[in-house]
Amino acid sequence: MAAKLLVYISASGAVASRAGGRRISDVQRFANDESGIEAFRQYAAANSSTPAFLLVDAIEEDYRFETLPHASGSDRDQMVERKLRQHYRGSTFSSSQLMGRDSTKRRDDRFLFCALTNPDLITPWLDALTATKHPVGGVFLLPLVMPQLVSALAPKTANLLTVGSLATGIRLSFFREGSFRLSRLSRADTAITGLPRAVFDEISNTRLYLHALRAATLDEPVTVLLLDHANALEPAARLILAESPALTCRRIDSKELSDKLNISQELIESTPESIYLQLLAGTVPASNLAAPAITAGYRRLRTRQQLYSASAAVAIIGICWAGYNLTHQFSLEAEKEDVIRSTSRVNAEYEAATLQFPSAPTTAENLKRTTELAEKLRASAKTPATFYAVLSRALTPDPDITPLEITWQYSASEIAGTDRGTQSTAGQPPTAPPPAPIPGVGARKQSGLIAGELRNFKGDYRNAINRINQLAERLRADPAVDQVKVTQLPLNVSPGLALTGSTSETPGSGGSTEFRLVVVLKSTP
Amino acid sequence: MNSEDLKALRTPLAVLVTIIALAGGAVYYTDKLAKAAVTDLTRQKGVLQTAQSRMRQSGDEKDTIVKYVEAYRELEKSGFAGEEQRINWLDALRNANTRAELFGVSYQIGVQHPYPNAGEFDAGSITLQESIMELDMRLMHEGDLLRFLDELRAQKVGLFDVKECTLIRTERSETLRNAPYLNAQCDLVWITARAGAAAPGAKR
Repeated sequence: MAAKLLVYISASGAVASRAGGRRISDVQRFANDESGIEAFRQYAAANSSTPAFLLVDAIEEDYRFETLPHASGSDRDQMVERKLRQHYRGSTFSSSQLMGRDSTKRRDDRFLFCALTNPDLITPWLDALTATKHPVGGVFLLPLVMPQLVSALAPKTANLLTVGSLATGIRLSFFREGSFRLSRLSRADTAITGLPRAVFDEISNTRLYLHALRAATLDEPVTVLLLDHANALEPAARLILAESPALTCRRIDSKELSDKLNISQELIESTPESIYLQLLAGTVPASNLAAPAITAGYRRLRTRQQLYSASAAVAIIGICWAGYNLTHQFSLEAEKEDVIRSTSRVNAEYEAATLQFPSAPTTAENLKRTTELAEKLRASAKTPATFYAVLSRALTPDPDITPLEITWQYSASEIAGTDRGTQSTAGQPPTAPPPAPIPGVGARKQSGLIAGELRNFKGDYRNAINRINQLAERLRADPAVDQVKVTQLPLNVSPGLALTGSTSETPGSGGSTEFRLVVVLKSTP
Repeated sequence: MNSEDLKALRTPLAVLVTIIALAGGAVYYTDKLAKAAVTDLTRQKGVLQTAQSRMRQSGDEKDTIVKYVEAYRELEKSGFAGEEQRINWLDALRNANTRAELFGVSYQIGVQHPYPNAGEFDAGSITLQESIMELDMRLMHEGDLLRFLDELRAQKVGLFDVKECTLIRTERSETLRNAPYLNAQCDLVWITARAGAAAPGAKR
């Protein structure tokens, strides 16, 4: 736990201590005068920048319990702020604490409002802390650290009244089920009645006060816990038992306090305020009286600490993560080296094995593939022989039909219905590579364009067209042919085109007319 | 948060940002190293598997070499395997012209480029190249063309495919004379195969 400066402030002066963890040390008392405050400043200057927490034991204190409609968030904050202004208008040191929910049907919120009504009491001490650059973590009323004391000394006590005698007077605090309900500081004049009687009287007064506040009835059983740090309250305990049989009284002497609170007995006897400083070192109460402006420095300190903690956490996570990655990488690299060694060994074995192989110009795989490729290419090679044979068979029945130009090709695309002179590659040197066909999409096939003439047609276009169509039919009938298209006839009789001519040009005998056919052969493996 | 707060928190914020950047950078960098190591290891394991597989199949490989080496040497000699043998092609053209008793053949050979129909043949690591030879010749009869092609193939100077042939009748007269009346233009595709890079340790 971080170091703290703890200051107990009362009308008679201050008691300061340092705390590292849950134990206090270097406890010193300072008088409430200029020399005392100066001595405190020097004490504080020895450990500047450690956060300071102030505990105020003053008669000028006020506690109010109120129930407010249950709310949350900013609604609750506004409601509580309104109540604080209503009760302690103008007070710099006031606070509220949610004590729980009411047991009634509405389940209202129960709040404790408290304030230090005389800020002048702590102002010089605060100024000294500010001058020595101590961030103020909080200002607390003394009874609000006492629930820890109660849980340590008398847990599970229904109604408990703690009584302690300090330099400022007799402090009486009432707790119901361990929860703070009321506290008062009495400056009884013990010189006249004596301490035991004064204590007894203040207990009676407090019970009446509790009854008046309806915090506890007079006939309720109450346990009185005498905090006898100076071992001087045994007579008071006997007096209580003798005169108020309804009360249960238990005295905790300095030895028991020392054992229960883990503080040296000598320190308790010499400086009883150290009991409360020790409690404050253990837990910071929720009800902080200091205004946000006073604790701004402490908040900044906390934020800085949190940022540094976050930095440390990020650094640790980063180092662990990166370390894991590096370890993983090293292990993979080591494994890779093993694999490389294994590969080299296998390759060496393979090299040794290949010494037994016959000499070859390339790898076995290349030998096999190249040879097989050559076989496949030879098998797939085509010549125009089949095409010419098919054409020859179809032309034989009609000797007047004479081919003038036969273009044959073996490619993925069928031949266009034009002659060689009009194809796209015509006239270009064969330098540009043809586009690669998409594998499996366009199987190569043989196709051809026949441009021919029909001789001796004597101007009989009907007969000429019939004979050319008969040629196409003979080609279609051939089992090797896939399709035949007549792309040009002697006469185009399509109604979509104009047709001109002259009967005077019709030859009496002979004459020729031209036609064009595209023939596609079936694909063969 | 006011300016005093910002001033007080400047250093720890800078430290936090720096540490986040450093930690993030370290994690990113080492993660990259680890991933690269995984990739390297996977690749190296693949190499080992290939080597092991080849070792297991070394017996088969020997048989393959014995079976195919002579045929391959023949292909190499003919000019199919390896570099193009254009001079051999021209010699073969001359011989085929003579044997087919033609009237001369004009030729034009284009530049070599990848064979576009290689996908039909599952060439694998073998690269197929083609050079297109355009031929122009005069014929007495269309059968002469087929005889010429057969003679050329019989020269065994490589492997060619006939891509396109056009026969044009140059004489329309019905009277047959003892002179060439056909003109033939053919595109031959000379195909060559080049072996791909051998695997490490492969026997050449």
